[in-house]
Amino acid sequence: MQPERQSFSAWLATGQALAQRLRQISRATGWMDLLAVLSTGYHPDPEREQQEPTYYDYPALKEPVWRWEIVWYFFLGGLAAGCYFIASLAALFGGPEDRATRRAGYYLSLLALLPCPLLLIKDLGRPERFLNMLRMFKVRSPMSMGVWCLVSFSFFSGLSALIQAARDHWLGHWWGAHWLARLPQRLLALPGMALALFLGGYTGVLLATTSIPLWSRSKMLGAVFISSAISTSSALITFVLRLSAAPAAALHKLERLEWGALLSEQLALLAFLRGSGRAARVLVGHGPAEHGPRFWRFVAIGGLLLPWLLQTRLLLSRRTHSEADTDGMASQRPEQKRVSLSSLWLSLLVLIGGYFLRRTIIEAGHHSSRDARTTLWHARAAR
Amino acid sequence: MAVEAARSLPGVLKQLRTLLEPLRKEEPLPPQTAVGFFTDTSLCIGCKACEIACKQWNQLPAREPVWAGTSYDNTRELNAINWRHVLFIERLGRHEEGSHAGGGTAGTVAAPTELPFFNPDRWLMLSDVCKHCAHAPCLEACPTGAIIRTEFDTVYVQQDVCNGCGYCVVACPFGVIARDALGGTARKCTLCYDRLKDGLEPACAKVCPTDSIVFGPVDQLRQQAEARLTQLHERGLREARLYGADDTILEGGLHAFFLLLDEPAVYNLPERPSRPSRHVLPASFWTALAALALGLFGIFSFRRR
Repeated sequence: MQPERQSFSAWLATGQALAQRLRQISRATGWMDLLAVLSTGYHPDPEREQQEPTYYDYPALKEPVWRWEIVWYFFLGGLAAGCYFIASLAALFGGPEDRATRRAGYYLSLLALLPCPLLLIKDLGRPERFLNMLRMFKVRSPMSMGVWCLVSFSFFSGLSALIQAARDHWLGHWWGAHWLARLPQRLLALPGMALALFLGGYTGVLLATTSIPLWSRSKMLGAVFISSAISTSSALITFVLRLSAAPAAALHKLERLEWGALLSEQLALLAFLRGSGRAARVLVGHGPAEHGPRFWRFVAIGGLLLPWLLQTRLLLSRRTHSEADTDGMASQRPEQKRVSLSSLWLSLLVLIGGYFLRRTIIEAGHHSSRDARTTLWHARAAR
Repeated sequence: MAVEAARSLPGVLKQLRTLLEPLRKEEPLPPQTAVGFFTDTSLCIGCKACEIACKQWNQLPAREPVWAGTSYDNTRELNAINWRHVLFIERLGRHEEGSHAGGGTAGTVAAPTELPFFNPDRWLMLSDVCKHCAHAPCLEACPTGAIIRTEFDTVYVQQDVCNGCGYCVVACPFGVIARDALGGTARKCTLCYDRLKDGLEPACAKVCPTDSIVFGPVDQLRQQAEARLTQLHERGLREARLYGADDTILEGGLHAFFLLLDEPAVYNLPERPSRPSRHVLPASFWTALAALALGLFGIFSFRRR
């Protein structure tokens, strides 16, 4: 007994030491520094930056007035757009096994869309004048185009969800429900999809069309946001379908789409950071006014890289399973159950990452506007 | 029945027309000469009369008195209730600090014996104001059409239309326009639009005791600025330069421009700000490219059995 107990306590001690070491590593900021320099290609030089002239470091720009309402609008608007896009893909190109995807997509799209106008109106300085947004149709102003897109997309999203509800007999059996169910949902899907892609991406274009260094230096935010809209939406639909035991074939398609969207999001985010250089420091650094800790933990690694790697593994293992699938169905059941639980987590990680992507970019934009040196550098340096 | 319906038709049409009235586009007023400010910082003595005159005329509330703590400038910024702001750039004892502030003052070192007032060991002052850009980013961003170009070619925010979306706030590359916490709308210098309508010059220019702030037709002001710059260069003030007088800034120049005694960054002015509306196309291009790639990938994902 004695040696066994000793080995147990030794094992415990090693475990504790290991945990402490891990904690040290995650608390240390060296890795973050390295990632910040690698991703932006900018080596901070405080001494030289200190020599650049400014006016007592007072901000050279006004701070944005956009806060949590806009973060949630960007997140939910992206979900509404992405869910509609995926549901329409399923309706136009999918097979009978994708019916659940279509249903969940159209309902979730409308659900995510409902709070959006309220958030936007609440964010206004004079909420009662929200209709003034419809006075103009201004191609040069992404906000004007975005409002028009939101209004027209609401029509498509609402109608598609209504048709879906009528077809699912949620609206009863009267003539109106029958008439709605007969409307061509797939015909709506095409223009609706185009509007959905606009809605998912214009938010990034809107941020890029400002003077805030972080948002506007590289012009990649739109690509980041549209990719994130689709990755978070496929994660949300997968999550819901998994809870309602949908066919594995439908889930497999969604996972593949999610994998592609995550890949595109990573590439776009990397291009965004590279293109921003010094302006992105506020997003990736770990200084007191920088948002690196949250960005790397929840967005870049926890919300993008990790889920993408897990998804890659899952897809690869699925492929080998489906090749050996012909006879041994019963033997694989416990295995699949375990996989599905881990992929629930995967969906959650992607959703959390998508939310924090918007949040860190908006909040870092606030700090970016306060940083006079970077602002003046941004206006001085060649683009 | 049919006759009655026909009789009420004109009434319905009239109602409809009244309902649609707000959507009718009004004819713009006949254009007048473009006017603006020429702010010559070499004449500014930092009296802040412009700040006060502006507040008086435009009935802007006073701000909570807060010590800046880092400078003599307690106004610190242009915002919704400060439409003129005098910068106090402390240059006393700078030569003792050596090359601390970069190469900005290298050219002025020779001057002190001839012109004591312009020696580098002094205060730099500048009365900052909305630049009334020829291509104003705030106006281009405004989704409600609240920000307009007036008949005097100035940029004006219609307070009864603005709904406070805040897009102009982040669009302005000079950090001028701000959303008011009290009224909830975006506010900035109007170039005293009401006074212009009555043929008066703006309050700040009227009150400026040294004529550092000059008001007039933009073309005339530009000539005046060039003449002044030549004069200062002749007197050995190499660092003097104009900011926004030509067409280089924001592709059309500024209607309220400045004569500076150092590089623009010393005054917190961006050297070559980009025009945000120019970002729409490249940003949309990359977004569309990503959307296209994802769309194709989506079709591929859903097609393959």
